[in-house]
Amino acid sequence: MSGFVSGIASALVEAWQELRINKVRILLALVAVAVSVAALTSVVGVGDLAREGFKVQSERQGGRTATVGISVYGPTGPLDPARMDKAYQGIVERYGISYWTNVGQSQAKFQFPQGVQDVQMTLVDPGYGVIHRIDMRQGSWFADDDAKRLAPAVVVSEAFYNAAGRPDLVQNPKVKTAGGQETTAVIIGVVPDMYEGMPPSAFMLRDSAAAAGITAGFGEFKVWLQDEQAETLVQAIQMDLQAQFPGANANVFRQDYAAQGDPLAMAQIVVGAVAGLVLLLGAMGMLNISMVTIRYRVREIGIRRSFGATSGRIFVGVMMESLVASCVAGIAGVMLSIAVVKNPWIQSKVAPGLDEYPPFPIEAAMLGFGAAVLVGALAGAIPALVAVRVKVIDAIRF
Amino acid sequence: METLLSLRGVTRTVVLPDDQELHILRGVDLDIASGDHTAILGRSGCGKSTLLNLLGLLDVPTSGELDFLGTPVRRIGSNARARLRGSTVGFVFQQFNLLQGRSALDNVMMPLFYAKGRDFWRRRELAMEMLDRVGLAARADAKPNMMSGGEQQRIAIARALVRRPRLILADEPTGALDVETGQSVMALLDTVASESEAALVTITHDHNVAALARSRYRLDSGVLQALEGVPA
Repeated sequence: MSGFVSGIASALVEAWQELRINKVRILLALVAVAVSVAALTSVVGVGDLAREGFKVQSERQGGRTATVGISVYGPTGPLDPARMDKAYQGIVERYGISYWTNVGQSQAKFQFPQGVQDVQMTLVDPGYGVIHRIDMRQGSWFADDDAKRLAPAVVVSEAFYNAAGRPDLVQNPKVKTAGGQETTAVIIGVVPDMYEGMPPSAFMLRDSAAAAGITAGFGEFKVWLQDEQAETLVQAIQMDLQAQFPGANANVFRQDYAAQGDPLAMAQIVVGAVAGLVLLLGAMGMLNISMVTIRYRVREIGIRRSFGATSGRIFVGVMMESLVASCVAGIAGVMLSIAVVKNPWIQSKVAPGLDEYPPFPIEAAMLGFGAAVLVGALAGAIPALVAVRVKVIDAIRF
Repeated sequence: METLLSLRGVTRTVVLPDDQELHILRGVDLDIASGDHTAILGRSGCGKSTLLNLLGLLDVPTSGELDFLGTPVRRIGSNARARLRGSTVGFVFQQFNLLQGRSALDNVMMPLFYAKGRDFWRRRELAMEMLDRVGLAARADAKPNMMSGGEQQRIAIARALVRRPRLILADEPTGALDVETGQSVMALLDTVASESEAALVTITHDHNVAALARSRYRLDSGVLQALEGVPA
């Protein structure tokens, strides 16, 4: 046992000693490997970050996985909204759906310190905030009992909030609608603008909006289902509605981005393939340098064998040298990649929609390190086989 | 004294590219026992190095019997032969054959990487002891290219002895040294071999070096003969 342990230890120490002695040569070979590992790891890391950013942006617009949009058209136009609401509530109850919302668009005029402005209104139910992953800048999203307020609650966009003079939300700031039925609303939360220069917009609960005289035209009903149940439930709801409204056209379909497949997958495969090619070139360079080095080390191999090194030990020695070196290069490459992917400037450019960035993906680090080890093993095996075939007597005289 | 090596009718033949056979050694008989100091004299190309390779288990005879510690070497596999060589044979080469770029200490430690257990773990301590024994402890960190020929050969001797071998094979150990340095190196080799009761086989073409040995042989055209007045 002691002999086995010392055998392993001596092979490792010997490999490390070789690296120390030949550091310049090995450093040159490993720069390419480290850079290509960093490239490969960064592709996966940046890809994950971009995907997460894209997912969040998409979920804000289309809803989380799996968000299903439901609408029913009669043969001559929209059906009676009250009847539709009843049908939708029936679906929510029958299928045990936790998060749902009606969504309608409208316009309203608001009185701001600088004058009256048109505001794009989105009339929703409280479930909208969860389904669309609403990110609050300040304050809070609607609660169920906000519909009972006498002064309707509004969640406003950053542009609206700026136009209102950025009041302190703790003071329950009020804004007034202008034109038609004047209503005083209370700002309870602020959400970021969807894009730069976006005009003022606001969310209001449907019931509150109706009380304030703000009505939406044709709306859409959305439910959030579990991904694995979505397919079955979409069919069931479709048949359910079709049965309730014979002759009407019931549309039940996934709206979330996950239903469209991964839009970044192809780009990531292409960039990953390029990084893989770079890694292959790095491996070829390392192999080339190792082969040339073995030619110069023939005498040394002969000397070592004359002092008791077995052919297996020579093989392991050359192989370990390559493996230990590529492991070091792999660690350096992964660290470089982490520095790149976690760079705040890069994060803000790759995933502008994220407020909190995900941790560096462990699978990217494992992939990079694994690739480095594989390159080291491949680039070490061929020179190691050449080293084993060296004839001791000839090598000593070399 | 225990017999380390026994050669009976050993031949070594190689086949040349034109398919002709070249008989390098012919019917060599030789016994080497612990504590012996044997010199083998011969001109260049007479087969001295081939004989040394056989004695050092680097090669096997074409025919005849070569027993190492009573075991025929033909029965020992190449890896077992390598391990046996590492633990019982120490080489001193004409051109020193030190590992370039490594310190004297690294060179002396090198054979201990192929030792197991305590000798491996104590490699630094053992190597320093051996450097001290050859008078070069103060040069432990020096690299071969910063050393004189005599110093390099003393490092090579320390390396050959660090695993306390039972057989030391010296191939023209003074061939690359001036006369005075060569004499001091030979004196050192003789002293440390005697102290450790190892057998010393010196292959040389120098009669002065051979004269230091207790038994002397001449190798001529592959035939080994005891020199007169010396017991074979």
